[in-house]
Amino acid sequence: MAQDKAAAILAALGGGDNVVEIEPCITRLRCEVEDGSKIDEAALKAAGAHGVMVQGPVVQVVVGPEADTLAEDIEDLR
Amino acid sequence: MSTEVGSPVAGLATAISEVPDPVFSQAMVGPGVAVQPSGGRADAVAPVAGMVATLHPHAFVIASPGGAAILVHLGIDTVKLKGEGFELHVAKGDVVEAGQRIVTWDPSEVESHGYSSICPVVVLDVASDALTDVREDGQVVAGDPLFAVGA
Repeated sequence: MAQDKAAAILAALGGGDNVVEIEPCITRLRCEVEDGSKIDEAALKAAGAHGVMVQGPVVQVVVGPEADTLAEDIEDLR
Repeated sequence: MSTEVGSPVAGLATAISEVPDPVFSQAMVGPGVAVQPSGGRADAVAPVAGMVATLHPHAFVIASPGGAAILVHLGIDTVKLKGEGFELHVAKGDVVEAGQRIVTWDPSEVESHGYSSICPVVVLDVASDALTDVREDGQVVAGDPLFAVGA
């Protein structure tokens, strides 16, 4: 289940190749991506994100306190 | 049974909508109250009794036995300080009392790095009407009630 969510979030960020860095904070994933246009906000929300904030190549995906676990799962998938 | 949530710091209780971060101001992870800390280096204390569920230098979550999980975030974007200036006194998984010190930090130092030192105190994943007796103006000391959660 958690792995599925991590996979869905990674896909919505444009896939592993598009992700430069993911850093978990306590409520959100702070992601830096190669190409911001590949981010699918609707898919991120469908994957369970409470909110998505995009500022150029930096995307914050609000996932709540499971951010730490999700970030680890996403790293495993990359 | 409701759980009373105390202020983790001394300062000015403020509406969460005033926090300069959309995740908190729009209550994306849950409703709460913010406290603008007064003074310099001080302890941030547990707002409720419970288990330390998540612990970062700049933020922590206490899961109360009643089921509510309370997030305390010390300043905004303070993850970028990489723990510098934050001294932890507990470990993840520890059981703590309300009012027990969790982190020693310095709001003035946080501000000297250009970050807001305001502290959102948020109940994770509950509806906004789950809070009662909300106090969002006026001075509080650490441990003063900010709100109660639960029926």
